[in-house]
Amino acid sequence: MNVTRRNVLLGSAAVMATMATRVRAAQPKDVAIGVLYPFSGPSAQVGVDAKFASETALDIINNRHDLDLPLAKSAGLPGLGGAKVRLVYADHQGDPQKGRAEAERLITQEKVCALIGTYYSSVAVTVSQTAERYGLPYMSADNSSPSLQRQGLKFFFRAAAHDEMFSKGMFDFYDWMRKKGTKIDTLALFHEDTIFGTDSSNAQLKFASERGYKVVADIKYHANSPSLTAEVTQLKAANADVLMPSSYTTDGILLVKTMAELGYKPKAIVAQAAGFSDKALFDAVGPQIQGLITRGSFSLDLAAKRPSVGAVNALFKARAGKDLNDNTSRELMALIILADAIDRAKSTDGEAIRKALVATDIPGTRTIMPWKRVKFDAQGQNEDADPVLLQYVKDKLVTIFPPQAAIAAPIWPMGA
Amino acid sequence: MLTASSIAQIMVSGLLTGLIYALVAVGLSLIFGLMNVVNFAHGEFLMLAMYATFGLALGLALDPLVAVPIVMAALFVFGAAVYLGIVSYAMRARVNSGMVQIFSTFGLAILLRGLAQYFLTPNYRSIAHSWLGSRTFALGPIYVPAPQLVGALISIAAFFALWLLITRTDFGKAIEATREDADAVALVGISKNRVFALGWGLGAMLVGLAGAILASFYYIYPNVGGPFALIAYVTVALGGFGSVFGALAAGVIVGLVEALTAVILPSDLKEVGVYAVYLAVVLFRPRGLFGSI
Repeated sequence: MNVTRRNVLLGSAAVMATMATRVRAAQPKDVAIGVLYPFSGPSAQVGVDAKFASETALDIINNRHDLDLPLAKSAGLPGLGGAKVRLVYADHQGDPQKGRAEAERLITQEKVCALIGTYYSSVAVTVSQTAERYGLPYMSADNSSPSLQRQGLKFFFRAAAHDEMFSKGMFDFYDWMRKKGTKIDTLALFHEDTIFGTDSSNAQLKFASERGYKVVADIKYHANSPSLTAEVTQLKAANADVLMPSSYTTDGILLVKTMAELGYKPKAIVAQAAGFSDKALFDAVGPQIQGLITRGSFSLDLAAKRPSVGAVNALFKARAGKDLNDNTSRELMALIILADAIDRAKSTDGEAIRKALVATDIPGTRTIMPWKRVKFDAQGQNEDADPVLLQYVKDKLVTIFPPQAAIAAPIWPMGA
Repeated sequence: MLTASSIAQIMVSGLLTGLIYALVAVGLSLIFGLMNVVNFAHGEFLMLAMYATFGLALGLALDPLVAVPIVMAALFVFGAAVYLGIVSYAMRARVNSGMVQIFSTFGLAILLRGLAQYFLTPNYRSIAHSWLGSRTFALGPIYVPAPQLVGALISIAAFFALWLLITRTDFGKAIEATREDADAVALVGISKNRVFALGWGLGAMLVGLAGAILASFYYIYPNVGGPFALIAYVTVALGGFGSVFGALAAGVIVGLVEALTAVILPSDLKEVGVYAVYLAVVLFRPRGLFGSI
């Protein structure tokens, strides 16, 4: 053809066009992860906080931070050419059926490569089964029911402890206190009626009978009741040495208020977290529960020994306006662990990520949690996620057990 | 097992709770009795009243008791506005008018909940210091919390005032007349539209009173209306749609049955007692205990 200016211009434009597409193809696609939490309904505040935690984790993964956490020092996922992680949020509203529907939507339409969530153990059941059906991993960030890893699912993973481990921690604490001479003989269980409360109380009943404690009241109540006076009157009549509630935030607030109204002051309260690690509860009824003990996965006072805890808390606080708590710390850490596995898998294929998760072995010092390490057993559970017991003293949660993590002695009874 | 004084405590608490349930329910009963429209946003009216009380306590340091008349007036206006702005149009539907009415208030409920969550955040609020707030009277072995006691007394007073309004005033007679035959009242000079609007205002005002009382001892969040509304529907159906005394009686029955069932059965089944009573009444007397429809 003639070498006219027109032809040269057309030809170079065509070459540039092909070059441009090739350059775009070389840039890595982002990696989508589905995030399911309750963003509306009675636990909406938990969802709001979980979103802040997830965004903080995303910041650590996608940008360079000088922290000793997986993926902190790199920008994006190095194993996938620096691809950034993108979070797709879905609201399950605390309803297991909606959770299932949203999980399906995230997988089939948003094309996520993994799911994480969900706060409610009841929703985790359906979401984990959905993930299993489609062959991609579900990372349980903050569900604590011990039935979850026993569903026989290959794609279920949980980095944090479950209620049997937490309850064992509580009873280890009672045994330790008994050895020091404190009288602890009778227990009162107070639990809500979904899988969380039921499994929690079952674990506590099991340990109580194994270790010689008498359960004088076992009250299963309906969550979100307008009135708990009948239940609290029964607790008051039983007058156990320790009250052990397994409640979400709304019921926890009503429980404490009703106890104050009916003049019931238990000697000690040892809670299965959930509502009792939510700042909203302490804002509402904090003064009435000074000395309350709750199990936890996380203690902020670890920041004194491990600088990354303080740094990550600062990043979270800048977004959320409050400190990391038991729930938000687990949500944040689980997302980082999941992203780390995707990075090691060097692929967004569900089976490849699953294999990478199975091979996970992160020492506890490279996390912000007081865990020994992160290693998933055959059922997908991290058996080395050591729980701690925290006591609410002078408006702060202080680690009191186990002795190697404790920074203060327990105050017992709570009113002392 | 439970002692006699524990059972007495449960019954007293159930009675006080029941009187407050009655107050929440009577507005619903009134509106349905007047115009055959079920207000599915009733729980959200309660929620708005609670937030309004909280706002007044926070912003103007008004004790909830003092805020009661203000909140009642505000809810009266709001209720009338909801009728004039939404329900009156819904009632004009020619096709499927029943469904249109249901969906209009149901949609309003969802909208209000969403707006509350968006603007006020889903965080739980409580009124930290109120005059009644943490006082409890001890009558022997029975603890009677002051807010619930005062709430129950106010509820009884409100029912009495409502009875006086309906039986002794012209407006009350207009309501009864409109309820009997809404289209004929124009013949005697009563504006149906005006009565409906005022009826909605009155119903909303009553649930506003309940909300202001509840706010002094209950936590407040966008979905707080849900459980109370559910109990209100059962109470209204049990007492009879449109019957004021029925709402009072049914509210007390629901409160007592709920409390006692929690003792006899595992307390997560305490609603079962309430629904069992409701089923029994509906089977033998479909219009409710005191219903006239």
